[in-house]
Amino acid sequence: MTQPLLNVEAIHPDLWRASQLGSAHGRVVASGHARLDAELPGRGWPTGALTEVILPQPGCGELRLLKPALETVASRPVFMLQPPHRLQPAAFTWWGIEPENLRVLKAPTTADCLWAAEQILRAGTAGALLFWQQQVRPEALRRLHLAAQRTDTLLFLFRPTAAAASTSPAPLRISVEAVAGGLNISFIKRRGPHRDEPVFVALSPTPVLLNRHAPLDRRSSATPAHREFLPNLVHAGV
Amino acid sequence: MLDKGRVLDADAAARAQGVVDGMRRGGVLTLAPNADLRERELAREEQTVRGVAFALLQFTPNVVIAAENVVLADVSASLRLFGGLRALRWQIHRVVADFGVTCTQALAPTAEGSWLIARAGGGVALTQRSLARALARIPLTILPAARRFADWFDGLGCSTIDDVTRLPRAGLKKRCGTALLEALDRAKGEAPEVHEWLTMPPAFDARVELPDRIEHVEATLFAARRLTLQMTGWLAARQLAVARFVVSLEHERGRAAIAPTEVEVALGEPTWHEEHLMRLLRERLARIELVAPVIALRLEAKDVREAEAPSESLFPEPGGTPQDHARLMELLVARLGSENVMKPAPVADFRPEVAARWVPVSSDARPASTDLPRDLPRPAWLLDVPIQLIMRGHRPFYGTPLRMVSPGERIECGWQDDHIVTRDYFVAESENHLHYWIFRERVGSRDEREPRWFLHGLFG
Repeated sequence: MTQPLLNVEAIHPDLWRASQLGSAHGRVVASGHARLDAELPGRGWPTGALTEVILPQPGCGELRLLKPALETVASRPVFMLQPPHRLQPAAFTWWGIEPENLRVLKAPTTADCLWAAEQILRAGTAGALLFWQQQVRPEALRRLHLAAQRTDTLLFLFRPTAAAASTSPAPLRISVEAVAGGLNISFIKRRGPHRDEPVFVALSPTPVLLNRHAPLDRRSSATPAHREFLPNLVHAGV
Repeated sequence: MLDKGRVLDADAAARAQGVVDGMRRGGVLTLAPNADLRERELAREEQTVRGVAFALLQFTPNVVIAAENVVLADVSASLRLFGGLRALRWQIHRVVADFGVTCTQALAPTAEGSWLIARAGGGVALTQRSLARALARIPLTILPAARRFADWFDGLGCSTIDDVTRLPRAGLKKRCGTALLEALDRAKGEAPEVHEWLTMPPAFDARVELPDRIEHVEATLFAARRLTLQMTGWLAARQLAVARFVVSLEHERGRAAIAPTEVEVALGEPTWHEEHLMRLLRERLARIELVAPVIALRLEAKDVREAEAPSESLFPEPGGTPQDHARLMELLVARLGSENVMKPAPVADFRPEVAARWVPVSSDARPASTDLPRDLPRPAWLLDVPIQLIMRGHRPFYGTPLRMVSPGERIECGWQDDHIVTRDYFVAESENHLHYWIFRERVGSRDEREPRWFLHGLFG
């Protein structure tokens, strides 16, 4: 009988058990959120790989989620390709990032957009490329992912909720959902075990400046999870 | 190909039908009735050779245009830079092929020797001994100085250069003059050679006639490449880099003349790399629409600077060099248009739509004040046109009822340029925990209507 292997990851960095998180060859940028880092393969956002972020709508905190990572790479140009709205440089100043190195690109057609993304990745000078696109064909995604592999650029592709069901070559796909005080991040795909419950990430800085009424107004305090215990308590009382 | 009514050259298909050199026009048409006869154009031949010579300047500064469509280049100092003889020959071969012509290459220690070998079909002779061997085999008719005495040499039974060199020198000098002997001495390296090297014009302005009327811009790329090669040769020889150049697409001349279409390419970083120039040109040319067929192409270097010597760092920094970035930006601007590649240039203004200014990367506008306030909560996304919100139960409503989570921020500004805004901004939270930046317009006491609410930003 053969002995089961204890450390498969010692054989090759590309191997991992189904219960383990894969490695990213050390090429990661820390996400800045400790609980999220613990769930990401390689403990951070992978560089040189396509990362998909599924958004229900723009403006649910997606940029503040990436803020710590952008801070790390902000010494190099950060490209925003086809953003959904006008970006306010003042917001970046508020977060403590100098907006000097930001570049916003708009492309008239999808083909131009993909071309621009490929050129940016090929030049390899960018620190991060944030890319918004509604409809992308799988072969275009594969091409983007291949182009990303030759660089150390952070590549994020923001897609609408409808895209969550379609297949994608991206090794990391997450979907975000706004909750009180932050974001819930669920993993659609990652190099690691399947995880059902989302990871909560607190966003900072928060625009909520009034918290006088917070204890009274918090709707999440009355969660149904507590209610399940009530009948038992009632029985115990009787 | 005809020269003065006689066949100068013919392709394989014509030769198969019996066409030989020196045949008259009538003879050719008898043998091959649908032959495509072309008259030799010396001016265009000369232009092509000149173009090749210019392109070869990128390999060595010493280039000379010799007789009979031969370009001589002194490559002895260039071998190491271009990676050896074989790599250099291959590069030259590729450059010449880009002009749409074939070439035979010859390499010899003397210029006259390599000229003779090239005319005889090409070859390599790297040492004096192999040069002597190669020269010995060359037919006498190749040597221009010997052509006048071709019949006399024929009578003597001399057909190659080797045969002539064995003749007594004094007698040969008496019969044929000094020109023949001098040419042979130069070829063997026994007499010094003097060349008048190709001199560079102070400005670059080249033009090429297209073989046909061209209606697609893509088809002009071939000619553009020829011109770019000439320009990079010129730049390399003068150690310059181009910062701005103009490509003119010339249309109809004469009575129905149409002004040429000019494509001006300005580079952020002066360059002399043919590959980068070609990529830029390709994107720029692909974007223009031709008003009329193009008959000629002209390239003019408008602004040249001293080239910076390339420096190779021992440890290349990750993320590319600033030059790489500048090149990328140029490429993006060339394809997407300068208005679509933007950098931030925030303005010190209280009105968010004025403050969040983006300008094309190529513009020189500097942010008026780089010191933006750091404690103002501003949303990442700003809607270009604010959306008016409906009211439900005295609360603004956007998908769900909105709840204010910040004190108001009053912005009252713009009286100086007639875009006055009087607004109270709030951060609102919807029931699904999205944060919006909304404002209530302030109405004067004389206005009858209720204040309206607008959505202006999203906290990304």
